[in-house]
Amino acid sequence: MSLGKTSVNVVNLGRIAYCNGLKIQEHYVRKHFDSSCQTPNTLLLCNHYPVYTIGIRRAHYPVEEEQRLKQLGADFFRTNRGGLITFHGPGQLVCYPILNLGYFKKSLRWYVCELERTVIKMCSKFGIKASTSPDTGVWVGNNKICAIGIHCSRYVTSHGLALNCNTDLSWFDNIVPCGIMGKGVTSLSQELGRDVTIEEATQVLLEAFSDHFNCTLTTAESSCDQAEQSLN
Amino acid sequence: MAARVLLRCASANLTYTLTRLSCTNMLSPARMLGRSCFKRDLSMTPRFCTALKYTDKHEWVRVEDGIGTVGISNFAQEALGDVVYCSLPDVGAKLSQSDEFGALESVKAASELYSPLTGEVTEVNHALSENPGLVNKSCYKDGWLIKMTVSVPEELDALMDEAAYEKYVRSIED
Repeated sequence: MSLGKTSVNVVNLGRIAYCNGLKIQEHYVRKHFDSSCQTPNTLLLCNHYPVYTIGIRRAHYPVEEEQRLKQLGADFFRTNRGGLITFHGPGQLVCYPILNLGYFKKSLRWYVCELERTVIKMCSKFGIKASTSPDTGVWVGNNKICAIGIHCSRYVTSHGLALNCNTDLSWFDNIVPCGIMGKGVTSLSQELGRDVTIEEATQVLLEAFSDHFNCTLTTAESSCDQAEQSLN
Repeated sequence: MAARVLLRCASANLTYTLTRLSCTNMLSPARMLGRSCFKRDLSMTPRFCTALKYTDKHEWVRVEDGIGTVGISNFAQEALGDVVYCSLPDVGAKLSQSDEFGALESVKAASELYSPLTGEVTEVNHALSENPGLVNKSCYKDGWLIKMTVSVPEELDALMDEAAYEKYVRSIED
């Protein structure tokens, strides 16, 4: 039973390749099973080079589909998260909370709901009215502004959310995002009619996150180096 | 046959027996008896399944005739949300206790499944590919995940019985 707020370390990785993001996530997941690690809860922030990723429902995306998308100039990854196909690329803030739900609430349904509420709160700070729908994610009307896809093993979460800031949304034209027909995508920049960068969105997202998860965010200078080392 | 079946219905294997019967004779007395028992939402609470043992990761296993049927508990299915996809192993897969054997997807979250015992997968619930929601609606009966052999029966002794599991769940909820 903790009397104070749970501490979560924020590690800002900047622009990284998706595959490196996966390795770094694995590094931080392993810390949760290392009894010598005192504060394993981590929030990874990054953005990726253009990549399409899918979740565990792999049958929807055969090799031909993978080839088609790679020929458009993006990378392609099959992951162990939930959710269907999505795109990550420059201008999109990607957040991977590597949390042990035992510090919060041991329910995936609760966790995903709190992630959605965090993003909705963050959008409201920008004056954007966002909402949830029967389809997981955060929406502005019929357009998705933030995708969510999670993996959970022994209550330790990985993967996370992807918020469009000033993403080139035409990359989404090549897929049915998240497998949902008839709906579109949007971004903070599109909604506000001005350029909103990842940097501007990051601080607002972090404040909303610490509010909703009732945690204290800390930034450790050395964490970035640890993350880089995990790639070697 | 009918009398013997009626007696068996009172045992801990009530649901398994009735499932078998329902395939053979829709109007048998045993099935009628089973119907009245199901009024108590049998599929959600394992009232008559006293043979269930549980892991601390919320899987349950029921061993009968040397074969263990595995599923997830009501606590687990509620915490997951609506299951939309079940990733399960192939028949013949060899599992050690606590091995990851698959995942359930709900609300865009994929959650790993852990084998309660050491053994080999003998059957996979194919009904879940068309109807993954069975894991939520009937987690102790129609929403079973896999069946497996039991290579190390002693492993069952270390698992929680229903009373211990309920206590464990209460301690998590606090």
